[in-house]
Amino acid sequence: MTELKKSDFEKKTIVDFKKDLINKRKQHGSLIPLLQSAQDSYGYIPEKTVYYISELVGIPSAEIYGVITFYSQFRLKPLGKHVIRICEGTACHVNGAKNILKSLQNELGISIDETSDDGLFTLLSVACLGCCSISPVIMIDSKIYGKLTPDMTKKIIKEYKKPEKQNVS
Amino acid sequence: MKVTIDNQEIYVKEGITILDAAQEHNIYIPHLCSHLELSPYGGCRLCIIEVEGMKGYPTACTTKVEDKMVIRTHTKTLQQMRREILQLILSEHPSACLICDEQEECSSFQQTIRKVGATTGCRWCPKDGDCELQKVVDYLEIDKITFPVYYRQLPIENHEPFYDRDYNLCIYCARCVRICEEHRKSSVISLRQRGRFSTIGPAFNMSHIDAGCEFCGACVSVCPTGALSEKGRKWGGIPDSYNASICPLCDLNCDIQVLMKKGKVIGTLPPGDPHQSGGELCVKGRFCLTHIINSPDRLKEPEYLFDEGIGIVSWDEAVKQAGKMLKDVNGKRVAVYLSPNLTLEEILAAKLFFKDIINTSNITSSILNSNLISYISLSEESISLKEIEKSDCIISVFLNGNYNYAPLTLSIKQKAEKGTPYFQIGWIKDTTSRYAYQQIIPFPGREKTFFNKIAQSIENADNSSPEIKELVKKIKISSNPIFILGPDIMGLTEADGILKIIKKIITLTGSKIFLTNPYSNLIGLLSLIDTKSNEEINELISQKKIDLLYIIGDNPFQKRPPVNSIICQSPFPAPDYLNADLALPSAMWGEISGSFADIKGNIKKFKAVTNPPGKAIQNNEIFDRINKEIGKKDIKFTYKGISKLIPKKLEMRFPFVKRKPLKAKISPPNTSFPLLLIQEKNPHIFYNISLSNNIRDMREIVTEDAIIMNPTDALKMEIQNGDSIFVKSDIYEKIYPIIVRKIIPQNFLLLITSSRTFDFNPNPCPVHIRRNNV
Ligand code: SF4
Ligand code: SF4
Ligand code: SF4
Ligand code: FES
Ligand code: FES
Repeated sequence: MTELKKSDFEKKTIVDFKKDLINKRKQHGSLIPLLQSAQDSYGYIPEKTVYYISELVGIPSAEIYGVITFYSQFRLKPLGKHVIRICEGTACHVNGAKNILKSLQNELGISIDETSDDGLFTLLSVACLGCCSISPVIMIDSKIYGKLTPDMTKKIIKEYKKPEKQNVS
Repeated sequence: MKVTIDNQEIYVKEGITILDAAQEHNIYIPHLCSHLELSPYGGCRLCIIEVEGMKGYPTACTTKVEDKMVIRTHTKTLQQMRREILQLILSEHPSACLICDEQEECSSFQQTIRKVGATTGCRWCPKDGDCELQKVVDYLEIDKITFPVYYRQLPIENHEPFYDRDYNLCIYCARCVRICEEHRKSSVISLRQRGRFSTIGPAFNMSHIDAGCEFCGACVSVCPTGALSEKGRKWGGIPDSYNASICPLCDLNCDIQVLMKKGKVIGTLPPGDPHQSGGELCVKGRFCLTHIINSPDRLKEPEYLFDEGIGIVSWDEAVKQAGKMLKDVNGKRVAVYLSPNLTLEEILAAKLFFKDIINTSNITSSILNSNLISYISLSEESISLKEIEKSDCIISVFLNGNYNYAPLTLSIKQKAEKGTPYFQIGWIKDTTSRYAYQQIIPFPGREKTFFNKIAQSIENADNSSPEIKELVKKIKISSNPIFILGPDIMGLTEADGILKIIKKIITLTGSKIFLTNPYSNLIGLLSLIDTKSNEEINELISQKKIDLLYIIGDNPFQKRPPVNSIICQSPFPAPDYLNADLALPSAMWGEISGSFADIKGNIKKFKAVTNPPGKAIQNNEIFDRINKEIGKKDIKFTYKGISKLIPKKLEMRFPFVKRKPLKAKISPPNTSFPLLLIQEKNPHIFYNISLSNNIRDMREIVTEDAIIMNPTDALKMEIQNGDSIFVKSDIYEKIYPIIVRKIIPQNFLLLITSSRTFDFNPNPCPVHIRRNNV
């Protein structure tokens, strides 16, 4: 993921907002697009950006933080290299998504909405991935893994960890 | 407009909510989140009602009345639903005691609740007996909770000053969030996350201090539960009485109510319903007053300096000693220092005593220096606070509104929010900064030139900076621009020059002016007595022309001056280094009736609510007793006799000042001294004490004798909160602890001093810093 420099970020989004918003304080309607563009640029919303946006549009940082944490679309931490989405929809739930989740948690040491310390994995939960016929299902990056058992899940994760280990040694 | 509520036909105004309509006619609808001063929220759902022709159960606090509406507020279904809703709320609230069979007996087994860190049930909660949740539980007769009870185990937030936060008790009514945003215009806190993860607080893990909390206590007042509680009053219980008074901690003299229990002051609040009024007080009027009046450090008995050391003496003995000292001395060789916190009645008594009986005209105050006089003489043209409402352009100059002058900062914020351009000139970020159209930082070390440029730019179009151009343009197109001057100007070496230019700018543009100062009755002092500047008195002292110093509530010296004897009369002990020969304990605000004058010379009265501690007595009574002892003239100094003599309209007279040419050269920062150090005398002074020194919580927000530094600078220099650093100018150096805070911009340092004089000259002063111990 390419991190945008503050200057690029400014050029892309802020300048127009600045013109428009500096005199119109508290336009909550404009906050969401601004946050979205921050997330698009950085992959997440860095703490500094919150203060920056706050100064710029005159919306207090506490309020912005309230909005960010209210909507699940916003993230305050960068995503890991691989994003694992576990389906907790009805079909998957019935077919043992709980156990899959447990083995993921054991293997990664993180729970839902967290990123592993090595920055490799982020675990997210979704309501339905649209392939209930092969439930329980997880999706890693854009690849779907279906008809999972806890053991299979472990193996898959190990596969993803392998190349990284090689890099290190 | 006619509506029917519970078969009762009532006439109501258009546009009000059903809840308000019902309340106006004494129909009670249970509610928790709605609040008089705040916009409707609809969070708690307790105020649900039935309206004919409307689907579902709308909330009364968010639904407006309509003509011919038929409303039912207390049907069986409604009450049943309310009970369910309230149980849901209670399922996350420590409430065992609310429904416990033994609740009546509980208190007799209660031991030291102060030692309980967390609230475990209603009888163990600071709000017990005064809680809105309890009242609703009683009303709905809840005696069990059918849902599983869930304790959130949130850590108790008690590490910040003045109020504790236990969000395990929070019912998420968002009153605190709304009062902070809508009424106080501070927006420090917000609802974070969703559902059962919801919490309340500032962004990220910021502390309230860093998030810009003013510690105004509005959120604490309106919290319906014990989630927010005042540290100083947490276990104080319900007050016996509420008494009207005014705050003596700055010249705005806000109206307050004093909460009393068993003859003691247990708290102060803004006027109005104690649970509804967000008010306009600052931290001092809201939280500090109680601490000061109950301070264990009060002087309670007369003390005399014997050859063997200080000893407590009786009033008779003390009066005899005072009489002896005063009889022995030539009146011309007596100098008097008066505190600007004295009431008009006390000042007038002092005038009669010292002018007519002792026969001295050497009367001054530690604050009466030439800069203050240049500043305060502008106040003759000052408008009143209310008139700010009429302005269409506001310019504040060196106003540090942090923890101070709340009604003023509030009216600036209100105006700016409605679109009035607000320019903030100065270094410090305060509660108004977020509302500034532009904050202009004068070029460091070139402040006078900066104001000169503004004046020039007004007179003829020019080549000044775009910021100044914009400012001048806005002032010129406004019909009623107002300059608000902050007392920080007085501390600048070039104050007199800068003030002259500001005066010129005001005349050129036809602007109005508003001044504040941190002293409750400076105007009264200057109106009732002919004073001298303290520079003049200090000169007399150093020329050995003074034998006796009589200091009333003031603190003018850093060490004992060369005089024969010193009498200190104050609610607080004289500093040890002064070696006062006689210390007389006097009563203070709360213990005396009296009056203060505001900037326009109008008089505001207040009454005593309690008695002074120990053997302290009123200043006027002290004069009376000493006068009897030396008995030269028959004058009555008592409050009653004196108050008749106070003129209806006050007019200030300023002491004469000899202006010396400036010695210190003002220069901007350079490569060897790259940072600009700004020194500010701690404005939070009351009589001879500093609130920061006397109140631990105040010390946390206004720390004396520490360097405040911008986080970005600190990061660059790898300096952390609490580190100790060397600050060095070209002629002076000293070690200070560091506080990292956003209130000061990069490349500036702020030092709030406890002393009346500055160590670094000039002010502001270019310095460089390095870490101590590296
Ligand atoms: S004390 Fe005042 S400024 Fe601080 S959070 Fe409460 S309402 Fe806001
Ligand atoms: S802290 Fe008090 S005022 Fe704020 S949401 Fe909780 S219960 Fe309501
Ligand atoms: S603004 Fe002044 S008068 Fe009002 S509460 Fe604060 S110190 Fe007291
Ligand atoms: S429920 Fe899991 S894919 Fe639909
Ligand atoms: S008072 Fe109406 S919803 Fe809370």
